[in-house]
Amino acid sequence: MGIEAVVLLFVVGLFLVGSAVIFAHFFAPKSENHSKFEAYECGIPVRDGAWMQFNVGYYMYALIYLVFDVEIVFLFPWAEVMHDMGTSAFVEVVIFFAVLGLGLAYAWKKNALKWQ
Amino acid sequence: MRHELMLAVSVVVLLVVEIFSSAKHKTNVVLPLSIALMGLSMLVGGMYPEAGTLFGGIYRTDALRTAVKLVLDAGALLVFFQVYGWIRRPENSDKVSEFFILVFSTLIGMHYMVSAGDFMMMYLGLELASIPLSALAAFDRYKRVSAEAGIKYILSSAMSTAFLLFGLSFIYITAGTLHFDALQAAFRPDVLTILGLVFFMAGMAFKISLVPFHLWTADVYEGAPVAVTAYFSVVSKGAAVFVLTWVLYHVFGAAVEQWRIILVTLAVMTMTVGNLFALRQQNMKRFLAFSSIAQAGFILLGMLGQGALGMASVVFYLLVYVFTNIAAFSVVAAISNATGKENIDDYRGLYATNPRLTLVLMVALFSLAGIPPVAGFFGKLFLFNAAASQGYYWLIFVAVVNATISLYYYLRPVRAMFIDKNEHPIAFFKSDAYMRMGLLLCMAGIFATGFISWFFEYLFAVS
Repeated sequence: MGIEAVVLLFVVGLFLVGSAVIFAHFFAPKSENHSKFEAYECGIPVRDGAWMQFNVGYYMYALIYLVFDVEIVFLFPWAEVMHDMGTSAFVEVVIFFAVLGLGLAYAWKKNALKWQ
Repeated sequence: MRHELMLAVSVVVLLVVEIFSSAKHKTNVVLPLSIALMGLSMLVGGMYPEAGTLFGGIYRTDALRTAVKLVLDAGALLVFFQVYGWIRRPENSDKVSEFFILVFSTLIGMHYMVSAGDFMMMYLGLELASIPLSALAAFDRYKRVSAEAGIKYILSSAMSTAFLLFGLSFIYITAGTLHFDALQAAFRPDVLTILGLVFFMAGMAFKISLVPFHLWTADVYEGAPVAVTAYFSVVSKGAAVFVLTWVLYHVFGAAVEQWRIILVTLAVMTMTVGNLFALRQQNMKRFLAFSSIAQAGFILLGMLGQGALGMASVVFYLLVYVFTNIAAFSVVAAISNATGKENIDDYRGLYATNPRLTLVLMVALFSLAGIPPVAGFFGKLFLFNAAASQGYYWLIFVAVVNATISLYYYLRPVRAMFIDKNEHPIAFFKSDAYMRMGLLLCMAGIFATGFISWFFEYLFAVS
């Protein structure tokens, strides 16, 4: 086990994904229609072009979402070592959450959660 | 570490105040609080400096780094003193605390940069500092020039980061580590490493705005609010200068033959181009921007003198530069806040109406020019001395010629204020108490660093 395993994984992955794509290309039923070539917008019908004004609040939501999304990434390693480290790990994560909570409270205070 | 922790606690305190206070005039609460928190951070972090490493050596601290951090903190503190007239304007009422929170955040980043024992840590600190800095540049967000300054700073710092990371990847390829001590031990001057060194220096040169990487400087300095410009020109530059010096001396100490040539070239170009462009500026902020480019060229002279002498002269110059440049910017800010005027021609006849401000600006400009009784002279003297210790006499000659050229343009505002006649000079105005306090501190700093030899001796002893 070593570099061989990585190469094997790569080859198997390439084969699986590649065969699925090739298989689908030859055997899947096809239909050509207008809506197929539109940009995907979560299922909502597309309207106007991309060069339009839109609410800057989108970015606000994206940022707040990102903060809490990334927080999960930190929580997994924490859960992994929580047993070994004991109380200190717990205190640290509480401080972490307190700071995050302050961030949310700040966004709330600044009306970032209100759709205007 | 307590220094950085204290700064982080300051950010949290300001955030809590921002969330839970309903004060009508926030400036009157937040500004004294920020000044107190900054003072406390300097006290907590600066007392009894200790040496040591943390997190497996990627964080390290010692007396020299503590001194550099204190210099940066002092710069931020002096900037706080000059913002009152600007931050309390109605258009800033919804983002008063944010200014201070952003400044504290950038300081945390710079402290990590200064304390880095590893290129990755240095890079993280750099990013932590430069993202809030671009927000600060665009702080007057409804003004076109300020928004432009923000976007220009973001783009140029992204560019410089790309250079920096590209260089670091070369270094990592050859050495297999980014740890400063390990790199120093395993240093081999092969092609890839030298290429990495060159790209690293280019990335840092962007931050210090050395010619030919200076093109963003004047636009950003002109567009950003005056207080932010002062912060840019002194504090953010200072951190990058220290890190570059330290890394060149310690990590790339064996490649001195290579980086010496680069530094000499950069120094000559930076001094000359900065000076020649400063000659023809009308706007005070642009003028000070080019003057700060030229000053960076002088700092490179100190970097060339290696060892403790070079390091001490560079850090001492940063200390002098903090007081001097912020004093100059404070006067510009006071006049800009009171009247909105920023051109040299507007300053004509200022001595008749505002004598005290005029005197402060005069001392600051004399110090920037390096005229003997004030601190700037000793700063330049030590830089030249450091370069002379390595035998760069012709470079010192070039620097002296440049200092003479700079004398002309530093005296231009002085002449405008004292000698030129003006039918309608700027009327007398009274600056606020914070501004006067800040100017007093700057003056005290300029004279103290000039007359008390303890500062340089201490820096020499610890570096």
